[in-house]
Amino acid sequence: MSNELIALTMLGGMLLLLFTGQRVVGAIGFVAASAALLLYGTGGNQMPFNAAMTVLDWYPLVTLPLFVYMGYMLSESGISGDLYRMFHVWAGPLSGGLAIGTIGVMLAISAMNGLSVAGMAIGASVALPEMMRRGYNKLMITGTIQAGSSLGILVPPSVVLVLYGIIAKQPIGQLWLAGIVPGLLLAGLFVIYIGVRCWLQPELGPPLPKQEREEVSWADKLRLLRAGAIPLVIFFTMMGLFFTGVTSLVESSAVGAASATIVAAAKRRLTWDVTQETIRKTLSISCMFLWVIMAALCFGAVFDGLGAKYAIQGLFLEGWELGPWETLIMMQLSFILLGMFLDDTAMLVIVAPLYVPLVMRLGFDPVWYGVLYTITCQIAYMTPPFGYNLFLMKAMAPNDVTLRDIYLSIIPFVGIMVLGLAIVMAFPELSLWLPNLVYGE
Amino acid sequence: MPRPLRLYVRAVDALSYRLGRLAVYLIFVMMGTLLVAAFSRVAFNTSYIWLVETMQFLLVAYFLLGGAYSMQLGAHVRMDLFYERWSERTKAAVDAVTICCLIFYLAMLLFGGWSSAEYALRYGETSRSAWSPPMAPIKIVMCLGIAVMLLQATARLLKNVARALGDTVE
Repeated sequence: MSNELIALTMLGGMLLLLFTGQRVVGAIGFVAASAALLLYGTGGNQMPFNAAMTVLDWYPLVTLPLFVYMGYMLSESGISGDLYRMFHVWAGPLSGGLAIGTIGVMLAISAMNGLSVAGMAIGASVALPEMMRRGYNKLMITGTIQAGSSLGILVPPSVVLVLYGIIAKQPIGQLWLAGIVPGLLLAGLFVIYIGVRCWLQPELGPPLPKQEREEVSWADKLRLLRAGAIPLVIFFTMMGLFFTGVTSLVESSAVGAASATIVAAAKRRLTWDVTQETIRKTLSISCMFLWVIMAALCFGAVFDGLGAKYAIQGLFLEGWELGPWETLIMMQLSFILLGMFLDDTAMLVIVAPLYVPLVMRLGFDPVWYGVLYTITCQIAYMTPPFGYNLFLMKAMAPNDVTLRDIYLSIIPFVGIMVLGLAIVMAFPELSLWLPNLVYGE
Repeated sequence: MPRPLRLYVRAVDALSYRLGRLAVYLIFVMMGTLLVAAFSRVAFNTSYIWLVETMQFLLVAYFLLGGAYSMQLGAHVRMDLFYERWSERTKAAVDAVTICCLIFYLAMLLFGGWSSAEYALRYGETSRSAWSPPMAPIKIVMCLGIAVMLLQATARLLKNVARALGDTVE
């Protein structure tokens, strides 16, 4: 079989199986294992397990369960809820204030958490009912929560950037620093959009009524600020120890997980139930990700080994005679297409080994490209008709929010993210100045 | 479902649950070991050659031993654009067919794992690191996790078939 045909068969087979609704790990693993067995020749039957041994070699992956644990500990023990109340009281008087506050909460949560799923869960369980009750527009609510949760994997610590760092062989510290400014940029753009839109159309996000605002005294308001201090302290302890080189990356994630536990204990919320719930959810999510990564690694190895990589490189560079920038844009488009079906980790494991060498050959900075990848992934998740975030949102939202509402709600936010992506593409310095500042040229 | 099959499903469920409940606590082992190691390095300037590899072994044990339990908890995501609209019976019927793909993948995984573990046992394979621990124990643990995941997948298959035929599972 020719390279092109193999590439098409494998990708097509995988998408077809995904459509049947079988578990993602089953769909990817089946195509990978059967392609290895049928086409690879000697050693093909060992390839699935060899992928498991690769996972064994990737030391930084140990951060994954620890960051997941940290996120669940903070949400299960109600610390994220406190954080929400703080933003709620302080931003409530503005038009659209609760939505702006939600973006703020998401930003704070993503600074303590490596995945976007946890942010979404907190947004849907805490922020959504509150905004519904205040008569916020449905579209404004779901759009805000989805947009906010996309910050999770851009702001450090980010598990996706850890995985990118492993695959692209780039320093994870630099990648994390490179994500900070684009993350803040996106958050800023979201806030500006919500603020302006609600100022023009106050019915979309009415400010809190005066009477309710006066119920909260200034002393209470100041006390609530303490809730906001906790994530800052955790973030700076963990990141400070990491960037000053006191603890390694993996050790820092253990510090983060332990500090979340200590904070929960100090607030007297570290009950048996909270602990059990946290470790059970941590196992579920970690297993889901790691089994998919393992299957995707096998897929990637077979795909690569059978020469499908050359099919794609050849298509971009020789077949369509694209220049560097056009190739880059085509890559982003292919992420949006694939991201409709796959989650970010699986897509990263399959596609990054094909694209990163190409990116470097074209003379782009691989650290900067990691940030572009992350933003593009998030856009892909939010793009109808298929997108992981859309389904998650539907699953978590109350029944009167239809899938149509959710599709409509993300349009302006996707527009903003595309704008943000274009800005980061046009000005690589935005993401690169911070790592250069810290690590030198 | 015939009685022997029902007993099989129940036994596999119990096994997956027990193993998963053990794996759940490995997160504390990982966290604790890393913190102690970090502290002793900063305070006493000691370093441990076993640290990195032990963590890697723990991570692999964590997610492989916990695999079957996480499947019981329904943690493995699906692309559910169409899936969520089907009736319970259609879901079960489609699943009964497509879960064979998962079973095939797991069987290949176990096959590779078994031959790798056997090699490690027979030739006393050790890791290529300064610490150089034997590889057989971790490979056997990996095989155990994959095997239980495989059993769990077959139990799911039986449940799906039963449900698709309109039979009760319990």
